[in-house]
Amino acid sequence: MRRYGRVFREFFRACLVEELEYRSEFFGNFIASFFGLGIALLTIHIFFYQTDRLGGWTYGEVLVLLGVFNTLRGWIDFALRPNMPRLLEHVRRGTLDYILTKPVDSMFYVSFRHLVFWRLIDVALGFGVIGYGLYVERYVPSAADVLMFFVVMTASLLLIYSLWMMLMTTSFWVVRIDDLSFIFDSFFDTARFPGSMYRGAVRFVITYVLPAVLITNTPALALLGKWSMAAVLAALAVAMLFLWASRRFWRFALRFYTGAGG
Amino acid sequence: MIRKYIALLRMKYIEMLAYRLATFVWMTGAITQPLITMFVWMNIHPEESESFLFYFMAVIFVERMTSAWDVWELDREIREGTFSNLLLRPVHPIHWAIAENIVYKWLFAVILAPVWLVGAVFWPPLRPHMTAGQAVLFLAAVVLGAALRFLLSYSCGLLAFWVTKVAAVYGVIDVISLFLSGRIAPLEMLPPALREWSEWLPFRYMISFPIEIATGAADGGELARGFAVAVGWMAVFVAGVQWLWKAGMRKNQAVGG
Repeated sequence: MRRYGRVFREFFRACLVEELEYRSEFFGNFIASFFGLGIALLTIHIFFYQTDRLGGWTYGEVLVLLGVFNTLRGWIDFALRPNMPRLLEHVRRGTLDYILTKPVDSMFYVSFRHLVFWRLIDVALGFGVIGYGLYVERYVPSAADVLMFFVVMTASLLLIYSLWMMLMTTSFWVVRIDDLSFIFDSFFDTARFPGSMYRGAVRFVITYVLPAVLITNTPALALLGKWSMAAVLAALAVAMLFLWASRRFWRFALRFYTGAGG
Repeated sequence: MIRKYIALLRMKYIEMLAYRLATFVWMTGAITQPLITMFVWMNIHPEESESFLFYFMAVIFVERMTSAWDVWELDREIREGTFSNLLLRPVHPIHWAIAENIVYKWLFAVILAPVWLVGAVFWPPLRPHMTAGQAVLFLAAVVLGAALRFLLSYSCGLLAFWVTKVAAVYGVIDVISLFLSGRIAPLEMLPPALREWSEWLPFRYMISFPIEIATGAADGGELARGFAVAVGWMAVFVAGVQWLWKAGMRKNQAVGG
């Protein structure tokens, strides 16, 4: 474990050095993040132009949810997204062999080797929106709320990592760049809104099968003081389950890969 | 020219078949965003659920028929230098792009139209109530919308001769279009100021306008005005692409030596 911490720090340093080469882009990226968030706020504003509740959530609550969503997406864009095209490239060219020979876990390596730092702006902005949402809602979270928030946030990050990893692993069979993260985005976009807004089969799928709703709604609810111990434990359990499944899937894919490589 | 086009279409068709799975994945991916928005609106106005269902299904259909991806292709080709290969070929590269668009959109239509038909059998709100005249105008508006979006995307792609972040530029345009083309909300749901903007900018004519024709929301003077504005933008975009092409070619040679 300590060794992985050190390896990760090394990835971190290498990527930071790489990114500092392109300092001039920082400003543009900063603007882009602000712009993206502004658009999301405008969207919610347009919805609330016609109503004062969305799936039973008030404007302030939906803002908190948006903040959570933005934060989590910031993490995805920071650590996970940059690695997706690289893995596809490795599989296509057969250079994955080199990674498999390295003395670190291959799943760890392919999912964290490349980091894009400026995406952390989105994380910060997300927290800003959460704060603003709480202000609009006039709710001051208690210490327990905040603690539960961080617990379920961790579960959410694990869940996202597992789902992302499972999707990424399919690249052993589907080889064409960009297509894969596109699937994740369209699925994750459902998590932008309260789960109670959806109906019928869709609601069932994104709550229980691909728990998009769980990922964003539980942290938002926790921070708004509407958490229950059962929900928190369920979130942790589901996260563990998915993590285990993604690990198994990666192993399975690797067997397939070596099988094809000869 | 027609024989050349047939050859181009054939090649693009074969290329598409090679990436069957990717094509399929790509199609399903574009469906979720309108669906989510549909759920939001159904939640806000439950009594109008049926018209929202029709509207957003139509958004999915029209959006697929008018979608444009040339900006990313051009950006990559110009940046990586493979664009020069296209230039050496005897047919202007834009014709390759047009052929590709025709092939993919034909496929989308062939898949989506039967899906719609089956859907309409089970869900009455999906049944369109169009006269023959409306249907013709609808198709004309879809073709016009596809041309507009294609030209916008292509001209943005050509900017790659000068700028390295073309995808970002197009991203901004695309986000603006999200609101003003009717993808986030039917245009009549927008605040009045935004709605007014939508009528004069080209984005409405890329998605919302054909649907307004299909639902009968746009007729008479509104219809004529809509087509006039769309054709006007068409002229602007055609001129824009031509100018960018000429300027881009000069720039390209200057770098190539």
